[in-house]
Parts: sequence; structure tokens; C-alpha cells
Amino acid sequence: MSEKKNKKSSEDSKIDEALESSRRDFLKKVGIVGAASVTGAAAVYSGYRYEKSKSTGDTIKVLTEDNRLVEIPKDQVKDYKPGLKVLQTRGREGINGKRWVMVIDLSRCRNARKCVNACQGAHYLRPYEYHINTLVMQESVNTPAYYMPKTCQHCDNPPCVSVCPVDATFKRQDGIVLIDNERCIGCRFCMAACPYSARMFHWQEPLSKEADKGKEYNIELNVPQKKGTISKCLFSADRLREDVLPYCVSACPNGVFYFGDENENAVTNGTTKETVSLSELLEKNGAYRLMAELGTKPRVYYLPPKNRLFKFEKGAETDYKETT
Amino acid sequence: MKNILLVIITLQLFIFDLKSQEWIVPDDKKSKLSTFPFDDITRKAGEKLFSVNCMSCHGTPGKGNFLNLVPPPGDPATEKIQRNSDGEIFYKITTGRGQMPSFKSVLSSPEIWNIISYLRSFNKTYQQQVMAVITSSAYPGADIGLFLLFNSSDSTVILRASATKGNSTVPVTGAEVKLLIHRTFGLLTVDEAKTTDKNGMATFRLPDNLPGDTSGNIMVSARFVNEELFGSSTKDTSLCAGIKTIPVNLVADRAMWNNVRKAPVWLILTYSLGLLTALGFIFYVLMKLRDIFIVGETLSSEKPSKEK
Repeated sequence: MSEKKNKKSSEDSKIDEALESSRRDFLKKVGIVGAASVTGAAAVYSGYRYEKSKSTGDTIKVLTEDNRLVEIPKDQVKDYKPGLKVLQTRGREGINGKRWVMVIDLSRCRNARKCVNACQGAHYLRPYEYHINTLVMQESVNTPAYYMPKTCQHCDNPPCVSVCPVDATFKRQDGIVLIDNERCIGCRFCMAACPYSARMFHWQEPLSKEADKGKEYNIELNVPQKKGTISKCLFSADRLREDVLPYCVSACPNGVFYFGDENENAVTNGTTKETVSLSELLEKNGAYRLMAELGTKPRVYYLPPKNRLFKFEKGAETDYKETT
Repeated sequence: MKNILLVIITLQLFIFDLKSQEWIVPDDKKSKLSTFPFDDITRKAGEKLFSVNCMSCHGTPGKGNFLNLVPPPGDPATEKIQRNSDGEIFYKITTGRGQMPSFKSVLSSPEIWNIISYLRSFNKTYQQQVMAVITSSAYPGADIGLFLLFNSSDSTVILRASATKGNSTVPVTGAEVKLLIHRTFGLLTVDEAKTTDKNGMATFRLPDNLPGDTSGNIMVSARFVNEELFGSSTKDTSLCAGIKTIPVNLVADRAMWNNVRKAPVWLILTYSLGLLTALGFIFYVLMKLRDIFIVGETLSSEKPSKEK
């Protein structure tokens, strides 16, 4: 019995002990929780105060897309970066109200290769991958040789678009023929269909594969490029969106390129920045289009190499490279 | 005697050749001076502009690494170019000649002066002369305004220039003015530069085939040719002087290359129905063949049982 009692008392003391310790623990916990909640509240309050002071701070005036001037808090301004969906949709539609046209004056080209370099720089191409190239032309033995920069002709009746089985290459309302590297399956039907050999195939991984990681694909720049797909001249569609002349046009040091909007009947020279009437320029110089008899209706016009400022010299391009 | 004559002739030919190569600058342009003194800031700005616009042909000044062209572009640090007056260099950059393009639409006057400032830093003996009065304005202290009016009956634009000082307004006479039209990548000059008459008016004739926007409006800009004398006041107005241009949508019509997207509904329906009918018929025939096969199977399985 006594044993039982003893046992009981020991048990009681144990319970007491446990109670004692739990009380101590409880008080301890209350203390910690209390302190934490006070600090937390203080933090939240100070945060609230900070936010409040921030939102009452500077505002900025912003012009919205529908031409309204609105004022928004400065801290809510975020840099706008169009996502893939936006880039793809607007890239397919093209720029409303424009009909881009290029005029190349062959009498001024001396194969400086600035257009080629600017283009390759913009689209991350290797030195032997061309969107624009300057060719040496000689029609017959007795006719003089001359240089001819050749881009994609952006035909109004593009055979390449007709043959594309996956709708990867397409024509836009402003006349530009583009390629969607996301859709392209690399069948190269378009390369075979193009009478101007304007297209190239990415046999290798793109030059800037590492640098391009995580970059949004821009259909108007064809960057990041994709291995196993087609690429070609884009008339610098990304620059035209900002009303800036294409890369090749503004890089030329000799005034070879004119570029403009056919709707406005005006083209601007990339070197001298002089704007002239398109119809007058074409008429006065006897302009022509490449292989117009095929019915492709190119958007690039050529002015014949008449009254040339430069003598044709084989290897002029190498001279140029040494000096730059 | 004969030899002397020959020498004279060759000499003359040589001089003639030199003369034809010489770049004649009009006298009034030769004496043109910068309106601001050259300093480190202008030199820095000039260096930047030079590297963008000039270096591809002229190379780095002082290095002689200009392009191998005929005639050679020349190194701007050499005596041949440095002996030109400021006005002469300004004129040559502005107008260009032969292979040297004109920079009048690329660079503004202050930008060209900045480039000259940079070029002069290679000339140790150079002493700059700045224009005595910073701007020898024709109408000092006055606000010069330009007004444009479109006369639709004979498609002319009438420009009126007037100088306002206090309460009095006088017409700006004898000033050369030009009319420009805004296009996507630049300004298109229409008609020639005109000189204002005694009423400060000038009339420009617009070409008949000038495309405007959908309602025929064009953005017109008027300015003085000699901006140093009359100030850089410009007038930008929208005039209803162009042809109404409805932009051509190049993908609107049906073509070989957009036949899928542009096909009319009736064609798509007829085609789909035709295709479905053909496929359905093939499927029907196949089902019938299957039926025959099943019948044949059952018959062949019944036969031996009858024999039993």
C-alpha cells in the first residue's frame, strides 16, 4: 500500500514538476511570442509608413498609347518589354500604312562592305553568313564589271512564301517577307524557290548561343537564331518599327542605299540623309528590278551603274579592310 | 626653242590639271566663321562626330591611314587640308563633291563646327577667329515668326515672315526661305528656295502628285536658308495639300502565297464537303468489304458443321 502511496506521490511530484516546467516554458514562450509580435508589428508599421511616404512622393507624366497625358507615381513605373506573344503578333501583322521600298544605286557602290558588316553584327551572323552581300557582276566580256549589293527582294509575289509547308515564312502588310524561326522546320523549300538566292540556312549553332540564353525571340530581328532553320534579310523590321533606317542603309559610307515608304513616294539616302521623290529618282535614272520577268514583283529597285564615281578594282575590298 | 615650247605646254597642262582638281569655294563662304570659340568640349564632340561620319574614308587624323581612292581623301591633319580657312572646310563638308558625300542633311552647322574644332586641334599654328558679333541678326532683338497658308485653287503655299518687337510688327524682306515636307525618314524639299518680297511673302508651288495621309494632310515645315542671319525659327503645320492616300495593304488580296488564309468560306466548305464525301465513300466501301468478309467467315464455319 505504502509502496502504492509512494508511487502515487512520486507520480504527483512528477506531475507537479511537469506542470512547473510547462509553466516556465509557457511563460518563456509567451515572452518570445510577445517580443516577436512587437518587433513584427513595428516592422510592418514602419514598412507601411515607408510605403505611404513612397506613394505620396514623386509622380511622373506619361503619354499613353491613345495619346492621353496621365500622371502616375514614379515608383510604379516599370520598363515595358514586349513578350514573345506580342512580338509574334505584331511581327506577323507589320506596320500599318507603310509600304517599304529600297533603291540601290549601283554607280556608287565600291564594295566597302560596311552594309555587310553592319547586318552581320545586328543579326549575329558569321563572316561567311550573308543577309546582304556585294556581288561582282559582269554581264558579258565587253561590258564592265561592277559591284551589286543584293538583299532579299521582299517580293510582292513571293515564291518562297507559296512553297512554305508550315506557314513559317510569310508576307506582311508593309511588304516585308519574314521568317518565324519558331515554326521553321528547315525543309529548305523556300531556298529552292527563291530566284534571288536570298536565303541562308543555319548549319551551325548560332554564333551568340551563350549570350542569347533566356532572350525573347524577336521575329523582326531573327534573334536568337536557331540551328537548322532558315534566315535572310529582314529589311531591319525592328528598326523600321522605331522609324529608323535599316542597319545596312545607315552604315553605307558611299550613299548607295535609299530607303522609304512607297505610300509617301519618298526615299531617304542612308549616307547623306537627303530625302528625294521616289518616282523621280526611278524615272531619272532608268531604274530596274532584278528578274522582273519572273513576275515576283520585287520591292528593291536598282539604278544602273552609270557615271560611276569609282573605278572597278579587283580586291578593292581588301584595301578597305586594312584601313579599318 | 621647240623644247622650251614643249616644256611650257606640259607645264600649262599640269597647271590646268591642278586647277581642275582644285575645289573652288565661293568667296562669301570662304570667310564664314564659327559663332562659338573652340574648346575641349567642342573638340570632344567633334572627335565623336568625326569617327562616325568621316573616319571610314579619311582615317584617323595624323596617321595617314585614309582610303586608297582616286582622288585620295587625304589626311585632315596634313597641311593640304589645314591651309583651308574655317569657312572653306565648312563649305566642303556641307556640299561635298564627287565621292565625298554632302553632309548638309546629316550634320547641323554647330556639329560641323565641332568637327572643324577637332580637326584644328592637329594644327599647332592655328589661331581661331570667332564671329565678331555672335549672331549678326538681321532683325536684332525681334521675334521672327513664319506663317503658312495653303491656296487650294492653284496648289500653292504662301509663306509670310514677320519680325515682332514690342508692339510693332514688320515684314521680313529679302530672306531666303525653304519649304520642307515631313516623310518617314527625313524632310523632302519641295520647290526651290524662295526670297521673301517687300511684304515678307514668298510663294511655293507644290507638286501635283504629293501623297498625304488618308484625308490628304501633309506635315509642312518652313525655315530660313540662312539661319545664322534670321534665326532658326521653323514653322510646322499640317496642310490639306496632298492627295488622299489610302495605304495599300499588300496582303489584302488573294494570291498564290496566301491562298489558305484568304480563301472564301464557300470554297473552304465545298472543298471540305467534297473531301469528306470522298473519304466517306472509301470508308463505306471498306465497311462493305468487311461485311462480305464476315459473311464469308460465317459461311465457311457453318459448312463443316453441315457435313458432320
